[in-house]
Amino acid sequence: MRDRQKELLELLDKSGANLYALLTRLTLREDVAEELMQELFIKLNNTSRFDKVRNRYAYARKTAINLAFEWRRNRKLNRVGLDQISEPASNGSSPLNKLIRTEELDEILNAVAKLNKVPREAFVMRYIQQEPYDYIAEQLGKTPHHIRALCSRASNRLRHILEHNRSQSFVKETHNVINQ
Amino acid sequence: MSSINNNQIHDRLKILSQIEPSSESTGRAVQRTRDALLNKANVHQYTGTTIWRNIFRNPIIKFAAAAVLMIGFGYIGGRLSAGQPLDVEELRAALESSLRTSLEPALRRDLTEEMNERWQSAFATNCAQLKDELQQQVRRDLMEFATQTLAASGTMTNQRLIELARLIEAARIKDRERIETAFKQIEFNQTQLGKSLLAIASRKNELLDIKEN
Repeated sequence: MRDRQKELLELLDKSGANLYALLTRLTLREDVAEELMQELFIKLNNTSRFDKVRNRYAYARKTAINLAFEWRRNRKLNRVGLDQISEPASNGSSPLNKLIRTEELDEILNAVAKLNKVPREAFVMRYIQQEPYDYIAEQLGKTPHHIRALCSRASNRLRHILEHNRSQSFVKETHNVINQ
Repeated sequence: MSSINNNQIHDRLKILSQIEPSSESTGRAVQRTRDALLNKANVHQYTGTTIWRNIFRNPIIKFAAAAVLMIGFGYIGGRLSAGQPLDVEELRAALESSLRTSLEPALRRDLTEEMNERWQSAFATNCAQLKDELQQQVRRDLMEFATQTLAASGTMTNQRLIELARLIEAARIKDRERIETAFKQIEFNQTQLGKSLLAIASRKNELLDIKEN
């Protein structure tokens, strides 16, 4: 067996569960997270840069975040309507509540997908993975102060994106009502 | 239009952070990834040099190549010992045909295996996307089927309603005809009754006249 595969298997044993949880949070679907997990490790296996990377887990996490948001973007392009939303990973009381909850979480994640890559990674680590600022700074090779600023800016940008999306949908609905 | 505030955003992010996949699905995902990686261990990244290296890893091919070289050297030695000039073209043709017969089947087999492995790897990578597309296709087909079924059932309902209206109209006309017949019968009976009464009255007058006389 090659060294690369050995290292990947070690990484899988050590951090596979964390990466899978991250993928599940970002996709809200366990089946998709499972597929993306497989895709992630195949991708890492084929990447020539992987040998030069110092922090393998950080690299894998970054690739996982990019894969998950890429999946969200592709799904959004292909989406027809609410009927395509599958069962969420979280527990809810009734089907209607589940549907509403999934829609709300999807709204947030779709807005997060629109952030730039570095702030997005910091934001996901801070608010979705609940990691402390010092750890994020260490992982991303920046200072804690810089990470705080990045997260704060990302948070403001996220709010703007959400408000913009809502105003757009409001205009669309009004237009539809007038047309009817 | 409803606006969203920071608290709402943070609440939702907190919900997201609390999502935990089940231990069974985590175990399954890790195992599947491990299997994929172990399968991948048998699939090599083929480059120009590694293809040759891998081909010559097979002992049969090694023997075949050695045999070809032996034949070549034997031929050259024979030609040299015979004292005749070396026919390079003939030698090249002999080597070419010998190489072709011994190496071609093995090369073909190895290339086919490599292509199969690449296809399998590509399929594993795109599996999630294919699954999603298939799901969407099935949904679209079901929606189409439901629309067609609804349209067909609507047409059938309309036909039945028209049929019902026709039957009601026919029954109403028949009822009218029966009522008309009944009225005619009553009228006829009244006429008959009038005539009978007149006959009785004239008869009674006649009887009274007889009595008075």
